[in-house]
Amino acid sequence: MSFDWSVVWQHRDALAAATMTTILLTIATMAIAVPCGIVVAVVRLYAWKPVAALATAYVELFRNLPLILVVYWAFYVLPILTDTGLSPLATGLAALALNVTAYNAETFRAGINSIRRGQLDAAMALGMSRVQALRRVVLPQALRRILPVLASTWVSLFKDTSLVSVIAVTELAYVAMQIRAQTFRVLEMLTAMAVIYWLLGYPQAKLVDWMQRRFAVAE
Amino acid sequence: MNTAPASRAKSARPRIIRYQSVIKRYGAFQALSGVDLDVHAGEVVCLIGPSGSGKSTLLRCTNGLETIDGGGIEFEGAQLPRDERALRAMRQRMGMVFQSFELFPHLTALENVAEGPRTVLGNSRAEADERAAAMLAKVGLADKASNHPAALSGGQQQRVAIARALAMEPDVMLFDEPTSALDPETIGEVLNVMKALAEEGMTMVVVTHEMTFARRVGDWVAVFDVGRIVEQGPPQQIFDAPTTERTRDFLSHLGWSG
Repeated sequence: MSFDWSVVWQHRDALAAATMTTILLTIATMAIAVPCGIVVAVVRLYAWKPVAALATAYVELFRNLPLILVVYWAFYVLPILTDTGLSPLATGLAALALNVTAYNAETFRAGINSIRRGQLDAAMALGMSRVQALRRVVLPQALRRILPVLASTWVSLFKDTSLVSVIAVTELAYVAMQIRAQTFRVLEMLTAMAVIYWLLGYPQAKLVDWMQRRFAVAE
Repeated sequence: MNTAPASRAKSARPRIIRYQSVIKRYGAFQALSGVDLDVHAGEVVCLIGPSGSGKSTLLRCTNGLETIDGGGIEFEGAQLPRDERALRAMRQRMGMVFQSFELFPHLTALENVAEGPRTVLGNSRAEADERAAAMLAKVGLADKASNHPAALSGGQQQRVAIARALAMEPDVMLFDEPTSALDPETIGEVLNVMKALAEEGMTMVVVTHEMTFARRVGDWVAVFDVGRIVEQGPPQQIFDAPTTERTRDFLSHLGWSG
């Protein structure tokens, strides 16, 4: 069996553009899923019971469905719900954000719960409102504590963006598969994909490790 | 049995806090079973008694961290409000110091002290930092402003916590066993800060196991047992001539010899 690695180089522009889409998709998903995750977690913990139950139902639904199913579901259901044709990219982003928000909500909830009661008492004793106490005292500590978990969610997400290739989002996996189909260079393209994902994923993981050390809070 | 106040030097001063038949339950457990106590301006009132007798619970009810189930608590002439917003306004005038310090670990000493003025009083950063620096100097920790709590000893942490409460310029300070979590050698530095505060005329309610402090600095001492005050009076009475068996018993268990 002979290999022809030039196929990777020939398609470098398409691969580069697709890689950029993968990165942007990851960033956009987290940019939505972190603040939304905080909101869902806070609603679950502090909101009026029926509203909190809604947040719980949301988390339990999306945490326990395969992501690829959510992606397909978004592809077929969102156009009906919104009555407009969303682009595959927007649809993929919505599916990823729904999934990751549910995970982040659980992470934030665990983080908030891990901050001992006395911290909230101390903030309240100063005259802070519950919202101020959360924003100024509880969340900053919780955020530092869960940074490693958010980081591994980030790295998983970076790889999981490949799942939106099933609805023809032109990210790295989809584009690589397209090239494979046109050139029949299966192993070359799969290897190229693996190398690109790894080269991008590894530094992200390391960066997060560094952030964790940098922002660690000693008790 | 409450005894009639024998001599209460500051009893003519305005009443800052009045507890009237305060009742507090946790489920089936009754933590406070009708507590009556007055705190006058400039007084140091010490709450002593065995663990679980309700001293800390009373303190936590004072600024509304816990809600009472019966009776009333008056602060500066007004009942403690139920409304969250009004309660917050009242809390700002009461400083609280916790047994476990509860400094904010992600902030420096200066930021800890400046947090209340900044977030609650809406001071500018410069104003809040200036006030915080002054408070740290007051507790003798001007040189530790940029340290995080983890880089401070227990005694230093508790002094920062006192400075944090003082930065809100409270009318009364509530101390919840402020030295119970400290190494013996750092207890003194915290008690000295508290003593200096008392000498400045700060009104203080102090839950403590430091009998020497209660004896020397306290103006009034209340002895708690199973959710009640079994005896209250000036320290001379409580420590030298207790009128109830329960007080004598408690003090003898501590090895207090008068």
